[in-house]
Amino acid sequence: MNKKPKNLRQVNALTIIIFLCSIFWLMPLVLIFINSFKPYNDMIQDFLALPKSWSLAMYIETWTKFKFPMLIGNTLLYTFCTVIMIVLMAPMAAYKLARTKSRLSKVCFVLIIMPMMVPFQSYMITLTRLVANVNLTGKRMGNILVNIGLCMPLAVYMIHGFVKNVPIELEECACIDGAGKIRTYFSIVLPLLTPILTTVVVLDTLATWNDIITNQLIVGGNASAMNIQNALYMQFSAQTADWEHALPGIVMSMIPSLIFFITMQKHIVGGITAGAVKG
Amino acid sequence: MKNNKKAKELAVFALFVFPAVAFVLFATDIPFVMNLYYSVFDWNGVGKSMTFVGLDNYIKIFTHDTLFWKGVRFTLKFAIFYVIIVNLLSLTVAIVMARENKVNSVGRAFYYVPYIISLTAISLIWKFILGPGFEALYTVTGWDIFNWSWLGTPKLAFYVVVIMAVWQNLGFYMVNYIAGIIAVPTELLEAARIDGATAFQVFKKITLPLIMPAVSICMLTSLTFAFKLFDIIMVFTKGGPANSTVSVAYNIYKEAFVNSKYGLATAKSLVFVVFVLLVTAIQMKITKSKEVEA
Repeated sequence: MNKKPKNLRQVNALTIIIFLCSIFWLMPLVLIFINSFKPYNDMIQDFLALPKSWSLAMYIETWTKFKFPMLIGNTLLYTFCTVIMIVLMAPMAAYKLARTKSRLSKVCFVLIIMPMMVPFQSYMITLTRLVANVNLTGKRMGNILVNIGLCMPLAVYMIHGFVKNVPIELEECACIDGAGKIRTYFSIVLPLLTPILTTVVVLDTLATWNDIITNQLIVGGNASAMNIQNALYMQFSAQTADWEHALPGIVMSMIPSLIFFITMQKHIVGGITAGAVKG
Repeated sequence: MKNNKKAKELAVFALFVFPAVAFVLFATDIPFVMNLYYSVFDWNGVGKSMTFVGLDNYIKIFTHDTLFWKGVRFTLKFAIFYVIIVNLLSLTVAIVMARENKVNSVGRAFYYVPYIISLTAISLIWKFILGPGFEALYTVTGWDIFNWSWLGTPKLAFYVVVIMAVWQNLGFYMVNYIAGIIAVPTELLEAARIDGATAFQVFKKITLPLIMPAVSICMLTSLTFAFKLFDIIMVFTKGGPANSTVSVAYNIYKEAFVNSKYGLATAKSLVFVVFVLLVTAIQMKITKSKEVEA
């Protein structure tokens, strides 16, 4: 009986240490936040101090100077289009592939899953060539089409795994009742897939919002089609960065991700773990 | 009649499946196959002139390309550091914070936040901290560690890349480990404790064998992440200083987009794919053999 309290105390001490470390883990973000309100001299002189005033002047200046409304508009457009198209097409394909036992179905499944096994970096060069050949380089449409294609494999794979556990009797009932294939899908199957669809939506929203590589490769330096990440990268990754504008810019680009994380925390953590099989 | 029904079924199948297939073909499958084609040509990516060179590109990679092999060495070294550090740290955090309570859930969220932030933000954040931030800290503390040129010295730049990668991804592995730990039946742990096992013995003999599935997922994802290391390099160090942080994937990217040697770059891509697939296959075999059932 004497041992137990001691063990408990040890555990608590450890918990406190790891918890303090977690605050330390967050420090880079906190430092960026507090310094984003300071003029450059104050950043250097009082790096760790709170700003003298919480003025939003630099935020407003960055917002207008770097065309944030357009950048956020582009990023939202990419995210919405990608997610909507994925939610429309991925479950249809996954459902049909899981329910059809034919050679064609197998071939289609392999074609969709293949990219999960080979690293993106191995075909990104030829992808940019292909996009250039069909005249989509630097265009919003090119970015959207590529994003959809890149998000599709994991989405189909995850939904496919889920559909296998949905009882087939439900669809048969609907068929007997005279509902067509397409109606059965939309009124019976799709609602049953909501849990896995939430996961897919969460994963793809984060992936598209935070994407820089695709936008960099497809859109490159075309300012009107850049997303927010690419624009920040192009503006501020030079040797001597303009930190007075960069820091508010970074903070503003992170706010949507953070709000999304706080409101959807459970789904994000669960969804990303489920997506881990992607490897 | 029968043919009619079959045709109708095929039409429905096409309606459901082909749109998805078309997108994947466009964005991934066709580019991947194009690799095979370009890899036997000498081509600058822009001009019309493509010279067929057979396997020359492949021979070049294995005989003349010192930068590529430098990249391989960097990637392997990074993989060793990254896989060990990120797994040890995240497993430690997961063990301590596995229990559900307020403190733990806040702590976990803190560890997790860097994982959902974009790479641009992350690289700019670290650039700011290592630059103006360390400059400021040096004037306050006078510690040499803040005065070192972290991004200008090859040796230090390597550690910066490792630290950044660990900082960004720890939360992801932590969540995977926690999911594994929660699934360990508590009766087993209690029984062992009643039998007088110490906390360390319980962990080594019961928890660890039972969370091997989580361990193998984390090992596999961290290993493939390390081999595919590209985004951080492209956005953050750009391979510098003095090509000391050029990973294999970044070397391929540079070969195509900076040196304009598309043929050679696509040949390298294929060597890279084989390399990644081989290592992951071996890794999977090793960890799978260590899994046990509860």
